Amino acid sequence: MIHGDLLTGLPQEEAERVLALGKRTVLTSGAELFHLGDAADCIYLVVRGRLRLTLPMQVRGKEEDVLVEERSSGQTVGWSALIPPYRFTLTATAPLETEVMALPRSALNGYFGAHPDTGYAVSLNLSSVIGQRLQLFQAMWLREVQRMVELRCA
Amino acid sequence: MEMLLMGACLSVFGLAVACLAFGAATREPEQTAAAAPAVPKTEVKAAVRPARFFGDRPVLPAYSDVPIEALLLQIENHVRLEHAAAESFLESPNASLLHARTISSLVN
Repeated sequence: MIHGDLLTGLPQEEAERVLALGKRTVLTSGAELFHLGDAADCIYLVVRGRLRLTLPMQVRGKEEDVLVEERSSGQTVGWSALIPPYRFTLTATAPLETEVMALPRSALNGYFGAHPDTGYAVSLNLSSVIGQRLQLFQAMWLREVQRMVELRCA
Repeated sequence: MEMLLMGACLSVFGLAVACLAFGAATREPEQTAAAAPAVPKTEVKAAVRPARFFGDRPVLPAYSDVPIEALLLQIENHVRLEHAAAESFLESPNASLLHARTISSLVN
């Protein structure tokens, strides 16, 4: 059983109890897990396979989904489910057969209310996942700004 | 009387020569260029500032003739390379790694 980055640091039995709140789903190749703007009710752990996270971009006047990030086994996807306004900010699709564990927000909130230590540990892990994404895209953004400055202000 | 007329004519002629010499000395540069033998136009254009300005810009490849599928793959490859570059920076944060070049065809 893969616990993934969301459950890091939890005792084995406790991690198993959190995972028992979820439901395994198998996505066929090309299937969409969630779409940009959808209501986000579940957070997902990738059990096996891979997910492509994309955003729409205008390419030659046509809207195309462009890869932003990829998530693989053990990684968390869809933390918008735990962050207001609970709407997905990306689209997730499976480029190959992929299995995910869907953890509903309502079930997690109920469990964390009864087990605050677990809720605290998961919150720290979630902060780490979000923080890494923020730092990564901050660096990517600055690299693009640097290129723009070199191109336009040289 | 004849001597007087001769002197007057010479004075008028001298005054005319002096006026021509003065006019030539104080003529505008453009008028000089117009009067001078024709200068090849290419030489004049080479000194025009806007030409140097555009010449300084990097020449980027045109993607208009690239099939859209290939272009999307190039964009995806660019994102992966940028992702990897940003991850390298986060592992060891410093200015040179932050701006390290990639081999992405979209920016080279």
